[in-house]
Amino acid sequence: MKKYWMVFRLSWARQFEYRFNFFFGRMRNIIVLLLLFYVWKSLTLRNGSFAGYSEIEIITYVFMVNILRAVIFGNQGITEITREINQGIFSKYLAMPVNYFWYNFFRQLAQRLISLISAIIEVVIFAIILKVDIFAQTNWVILLWFGVSVFLAICLYFVLSYLTNLLAFFSREAIGPKFLFDWILEFGSGAYFPLSILSRIFFIPLMFLPFAYLVYFPVEIYLGRVSFWQANIGICFQIFWILVAGLITRIVWKKGLRRYSGEGI
Amino acid sequence: MNIEKYFKIWKQLVSCAAGSYLSNRLESGGYFLGKLVRFGFFLLLIVSIFNYTNTMAGYSKYEVILFFLTFNLLDVLAQAFFRGIYMFQNDVKQGNFDYVLSKPVNPLFYSMSRITDIMDMIFLFPISGLIIFTVYKLPIDVGWENILGYAVFIGIGMVIVIAIHILAACVTIWSVENENTIWVYRDAMTVGRFPPEIFSVTVQAVFTFVIPIIVIVAFPTKTLLGLLSWQWMVFGAVYAILFFAVSLIIWKISLKKYSSASS
Repeated sequence: MKKYWMVFRLSWARQFEYRFNFFFGRMRNIIVLLLLFYVWKSLTLRNGSFAGYSEIEIITYVFMVNILRAVIFGNQGITEITREINQGIFSKYLAMPVNYFWYNFFRQLAQRLISLISAIIEVVIFAIILKVDIFAQTNWVILLWFGVSVFLAICLYFVLSYLTNLLAFFSREAIGPKFLFDWILEFGSGAYFPLSILSRIFFIPLMFLPFAYLVYFPVEIYLGRVSFWQANIGICFQIFWILVAGLITRIVWKKGLRRYSGEGI
Repeated sequence: MNIEKYFKIWKQLVSCAAGSYLSNRLESGGYFLGKLVRFGFFLLLIVSIFNYTNTMAGYSKYEVILFFLTFNLLDVLAQAFFRGIYMFQNDVKQGNFDYVLSKPVNPLFYSMSRITDIMDMIFLFPISGLIIFTVYKLPIDVGWENILGYAVFIGIGMVIVIAIHILAACVTIWSVENENTIWVYRDAMTVGRFPPEIFSVTVQAVFTFVIPIIVIVAFPTKTLLGLLSWQWMVFGAVYAILFFAVSLIIWKISLKKYSSASS
């Protein structure tokens, strides 16, 4: 565990080394936050609600998404694993006494934590400047279930993202499919809008896919819009998808290792 | 500038880009499908919103779709023709920009157009088709003068977009570590996906005068809808010329500052 703690610390230090870059990266999130806030604000202006969401619920949804994106997706465009495999840098990890899966988990964890702190600060500042009321959940059972669903969402995203990156074992062109995966994930997860505003023909299939359980589902729990049983079923779906994705990852990893030739060393 | 010479260079660069895209079919296919998914989902979002309401900030469904399509048209045009700027940070960081400076070609032209995104060029066709379809579905009569005005303001928007790309290159020269400037512009452009009236007056002012996304995207759409006054039309044209001129001046200053530190 000590070695992974060191990976975490080094990654943390690296994030602060490129402060200007980090600042600009967060600026990008602020612009998206601003856009979504005003879109939903304009839609709730007339009746005080939209598509079954009260104004406070939909604004809280937008702000919560900003926080959850930071901690769940981290730096979503991350292609370090793909690059390392394609350029042969990956070879050094085979000689190191580390598990590559956990190495990457802790490497990304530092970046997620810094983004989380920044996202919380952004939301607080925004809420003050725009004089926005945010729904504060006080039910401890709901908060506990929310915490569990966020933890499972972090695990699910990491496994899915890791799996997509492993495509690099089979092709030098894995970044294009990763780009496709990222956009399906952005929308399918509800990171831009609550999925329930879609017509049922789109909404129901999306709820059977893993993406909806990354952002939409945890925020719905936080807002208290799902019943206790619905929350339980959703958490079961999260665990199911982690197991399925984990199993596929294991198979792909084994096959990938056999194919890996260290090209580019 | 010898236009014929630069057209030949551009043609050669397009040919190289086409070869690269064809030899990386999985990657190109992934990017193309990703762009389609992004486009389709946003369109679906707008259509879904109008299942619950008749207007958004006073605009009907097809008017809002027109804002969205115009944003896409300008965004894709810039990505198709000026994709090279995304590699500029790498060039400066690794000292490769020195080689560009030693070529008998304008370094700004080369840096911006060295990569042409063929996928985005293809994407321009469905977007253009959808714009024509949307204009046909608008609840108002669109005259030829509106269509001409739309085309002119698309041109004006592109002038500002080029200027922003130049400024992004300047920031890269001044701060080599930064790779997010052009992405900040890309995200700022997303503000143009929806009518500007959804924003507060202050935000509208920022995105009109400071980061002129509203001039780039909303002005053409409003001209087509017959909603832009002649005063704003004059402002848009003058602003674009000044913005472009200032970006060129800053580029020249930045080039002098370029130290070739990484080479």
